[in-house]
Amino acid sequence: MNDVPRIRIADIHKSFGPLEVLRGVSFDVHRGSVVSVVGASGSGKSTLLRCVNHLEPPDSGEIFIEGESLGSRVDERGQRRPRSLAEINAMRRELGVVFQQFNLWPHMTVLGNVIEAPIRVRKMPRKDAIAYGEECLRRVKMIDKANEYPARLSGGQQQRAAIARALAMRPKAMLFDEATSSLDPELTDEVLGVMRELAADGTTMIVVTHEMGFAREVSDRVIFLHQGVIEEEGAPADIFDAPKSERLRQFLSKYRK
Amino acid sequence: MSDALKQSLDLSMFWEYRAILLQGLIFNALVFLCAASVALSVGLGAALLRINRFWPMRWIGTLHVEVFRNAPDYIMLVWVHFVLPLLIGMVIRRRVEFHPFVSAVIALGFVYSGYFAEAFRAGIQAIPQGNLDAGRAFGMSERLILWRITLPQVVRRMLPEALNLFISMFKATTIVSLIAVPDLMYNVSMVIQQEMRPLPLYTGAAITYFLIILLLSSGVRVFSERWRRKILA
Amino acid sequence: MGNWERLVWNQRDVLLAGLSVTVEVCAIAFVAAVVGGLVLCLIRLYVAPLRPLAILLIEFFRDTPIFVQLMWVAYVWPEIFGFPNTFFNAGWLALGLQSSGYLAETFRAGIEAVPRGQRDAAFSAGMSQPQTFTRIVMPQVLLASAPSIVNQFTVIVKSSTLISVITVPDLMSQSQKLVNVWYEPIEILTATAAIYIAFVFLISLTGKLLADRLRRRYGLAAS
Repeated sequence: MNDVPRIRIADIHKSFGPLEVLRGVSFDVHRGSVVSVVGASGSGKSTLLRCVNHLEPPDSGEIFIEGESLGSRVDERGQRRPRSLAEINAMRRELGVVFQQFNLWPHMTVLGNVIEAPIRVRKMPRKDAIAYGEECLRRVKMIDKANEYPARLSGGQQQRAAIARALAMRPKAMLFDEATSSLDPELTDEVLGVMRELAADGTTMIVVTHEMGFAREVSDRVIFLHQGVIEEEGAPADIFDAPKSERLRQFLSKYRK
Repeated sequence: MSDALKQSLDLSMFWEYRAILLQGLIFNALVFLCAASVALSVGLGAALLRINRFWPMRWIGTLHVEVFRNAPDYIMLVWVHFVLPLLIGMVIRRRVEFHPFVSAVIALGFVYSGYFAEAFRAGIQAIPQGNLDAGRAFGMSERLILWRITLPQVVRRMLPEALNLFISMFKATTIVSLIAVPDLMYNVSMVIQQEMRPLPLYTGAAITYFLIILLLSSGVRVFSERWRRKILA
Repeated sequence: MGNWERLVWNQRDVLLAGLSVTVEVCAIAFVAAVVGGLVLCLIRLYVAPLRPLAILLIEFFRDTPIFVQLMWVAYVWPEIFGFPNTFFNAGWLALGLQSSGYLAETFRAGIEAVPRGQRDAAFSAGMSQPQTFTRIVMPQVLLASAPSIVNQFTVIVKSSTLISVITVPDLMSQSQKLVNVWYEPIEILTATAAIYIAFVFLISLTGKLLADRLRRRYGLAAS
């Protein structure tokens, strides 16, 4: 059992102007585990995820990927300095991100989207990138749409393609930012199914989601975020069946059908 | 009156000199191609400056665009041909003269770089932020994002507008005759000086340009229709 | 630099005289362009037998480069039509014709963009065709195309520099006169260029402000 967590999030603070969105969030994600982050709109969930790969640099606090800080490093003289953009980019390769809006690049085919970063960022030879890319597409059951352009795909198909795109970089962990929130209910299941399979295969995942059923079945831990702090965290059974805080109870009551 | 009309429509004179006039037209095309290259590259540079992180860069880009977009072609042409060599000459302490072709390319290229810069900027800012986020999330450098994600989409979106700008530019090359670049209008004026018969020649020139531009702009119109449908599908 | 004072400031009367001619020509050309554009547009849309002619004229005025049109109108037309009789008239006529082609298309697009419901409402209220056109359709067209119309004015101003070639004493030709007298082109031409750029810039700025005002007031999609 590896002692160093895959991802360590340490005391993240983030403000946008006068609004303090994250007010000291810390937790670890161990290898192979799935952590779900739930909370109301405005609780800071998406901002948190965007801080993990420094799409939004946190105001204070640090992100560690297998012990290495994402935002800073120790230089030759033993001083701690912030990382340059190029170094941050290099570390971003280890995190696969799936966005709510899919964000597939519209001028490339599905396969084109999948192999773009492996070729350009990881400098993989084209043949290898295509081979592994097709494998990823097979995994999300999108291989027959490899030569289609995103505009011709349904939302569910686009999101699965986006998942394949993230997987093709062989990341150490996958970050899902409300991956099913933009989908019609019928299409949500196909994407959740893929995410379930990934979890079963041992992928390290941080999942920001509204899908309580998914969070409950698939996560190893659930974190409830409220107004920028972790209000409660624990095993799914504890969070969903025996909520301790009043706010969590209120939050869950909205999802009881 | 009808005698004059007959004279102007008697294009045999125009036809007689077609070799020289065609040569002139080729000069128009050459000036256009060179100036278009200048306009595209300088325009792209100015557009990128306008969206730069540092405000002095943005300011320079905006200044460039506003100066050149609002400048009349002719005054720019005259200024580049007569003033710029003198200024450069003062700096390097030697007498400098521009070949008219060079002045034409610089003047038209820079004037139209202003228009292209605006078109590029609008195109770049129309790219959804999510596309760029995805690029960054994958660890792509800003440069990579620009060349592989942003610019291909900008070109796709702005192609119809760019083609229209090219046509405008080609029409603008007619003024280079005024600084003695031997284009169509210059050769027309030479022939008129010789033959003293302006009517058929000016009429012929008007009809020639009309037909060429009509052909080009109709083509662009048809193409743009299909293109827009394809891109915005 | 003393040169600026000597060459530009002291000659400001000459330059201003030129500028006033420029403004005059452009103003007349602009009015001609709007009227001509409207006429061409209406003929094209509503007078079926003359439609091909209207389309031909619109295309001709738009596609022919302004310099070529200018020379043609200045030197050929007087022989055939007896008009224009002065170079001043040739100037605004050529500028006006070219812009009328563009405006005809602008107006056409504007008219076709007015939602059908607008006319339906007017007819249902008992308004006649001409009434509907002048009270309902055209105001909306003019408001929506105001920025394009202002833009066409800047095109006219920029093209007006060419009328110096047919010896109209505009700003451009006055500055060239000064250069020929003093043999020192740097200050004079730079100042002239700056004046033109500033003038066109101000017009564009006005156009932009106008467009914003209209958008806020009427909620119309100004192009």
